[in-house]
Amino acid sequence: MRRRALVALVAVPGLAQVAAAYTPDVEYTLHCEGCHLADGSGSPGKVPALAGSLARFLRVPGGREYLARVPGVASAPLSDAALAALLDWTLRRFDGATLPADYVPYTAKEIHALRAQPLADVAATRKALLEGTDPVR
Amino acid sequence: MASRSFDDWIEATARRLARTTSRRGFLGRLGAALLGAAAFPLLPVARARGEAPREPAPDDAALTGAAGDPTSCDYWRHCSIDGFLASCCGGTATSCPPGTEMSRVTWIGTCRHPVDGKDYIISYNDCCGNSYCGRCLCNRNEGDRPVYQPGKSNDINWCMGTETTAYNSTVAIVLGVATPSS
Repeated sequence: MRRRALVALVAVPGLAQVAAAYTPDVEYTLHCEGCHLADGSGSPGKVPALAGSLARFLRVPGGREYLARVPGVASAPLSDAALAALLDWTLRRFDGATLPADYVPYTAKEIHALRAQPLADVAATRKALLEGTDPVR
Repeated sequence: MASRSFDDWIEATARRLARTTSRRGFLGRLGAALLGAAAFPLLPVARARGEAPREPAPDDAALTGAAGDPTSCDYWRHCSIDGFLASCCGGTATSCPPGTEMSRVTWIGTCRHPVDGKDYIISYNDCCGNSYCGRCLCNRNEGDRPVYQPGKSNDINWCMGTETTAYNSTVAIVLGVATPSS
C-alpha cells in the first residue's frame, strides 16, 4: 500500500484529465453508485440516502448550492456540463416526485461557480440546512 | 364415518379432475406462464432506472487465452482490479468464496471488451469476512485514481458496511455497457 501511495503522488497531473463522457445514468454508476448504491438508499449513518431525500435541499435557501458543493459532487472527475447533467438526472431519478415546481436544471456555468467553493464543514452545513425540514434519513 | 365420506369426496373430485382436464394442456399453460414471467421482470427494473435496460455482459466463450480466463489477471474484466481473485479463492469472477460476504459498497470502473471493443461497467466488489486469500494477486489499475479520490481508488479496502472489514478477495461483475453520451 505504501508503494502505491508513491504512485499516487506521481499521478497528480492526471487529475486535470476528464474521463470519457457517458450518459448520466452511466456516470451515476461510475461515480456515485459505489457508495450511494443503485437504488440510492446509501448506508444509514455512513452514506446519506439520495432516494426520497434530495429534493428537500431545493426547498431551503442555500440547499441548491449545497448539492453542487458537497465533496462527492464538486470533486467528481467530470466536466462542468457533464456534472450538471448528472446532478439533474440524479434529482429526477431519486426524488423526481417531490421536485419543487420551480426547479430548473443546473447549468454548466452554475456548476463551475459552485464547485469552486468547497464546503469547510459539510456535516454542519447539512444539519443547518435541514433544520425544520423533514427528519433526516 | 365422517372421514370415510370425506375420503370419498376427495377421490371423486380427483377422478373428475383427471377426466375433465388435460395434463399436457396444463403443462403447456404452465410453460407459457413461466416464459412470460421470465420476460416481465425486465420491465419494472428498466422503469425503475428510468432508462432502457443496459446491454448485458458479452459471452466470454468467444475469447481465447487469458483474456477469457476468469482465474487470470489478464481476464478482460480485471483491467482495474487490485487484490486476490475470488475465482482463485473458492468463488467465481462474480460470486464470493463460501464464508465471505460481498460488500455492497464497491469501486466501479470500466473495461474494454477485446472483441466487441465496447466499454463495460465493472463493479469490483470485495469479499469480506475471512483473512487474505493469498492466491492470484492482481494489480491492474486502468482508471484507478489516487486514494485522495477515494470513490475512484482501488487501493482502498472496500469492505464497508459488511459484518467485518477483513478483506479476502474481489469479484468483477459486469453492470452493462458504458453508453457514451451523444
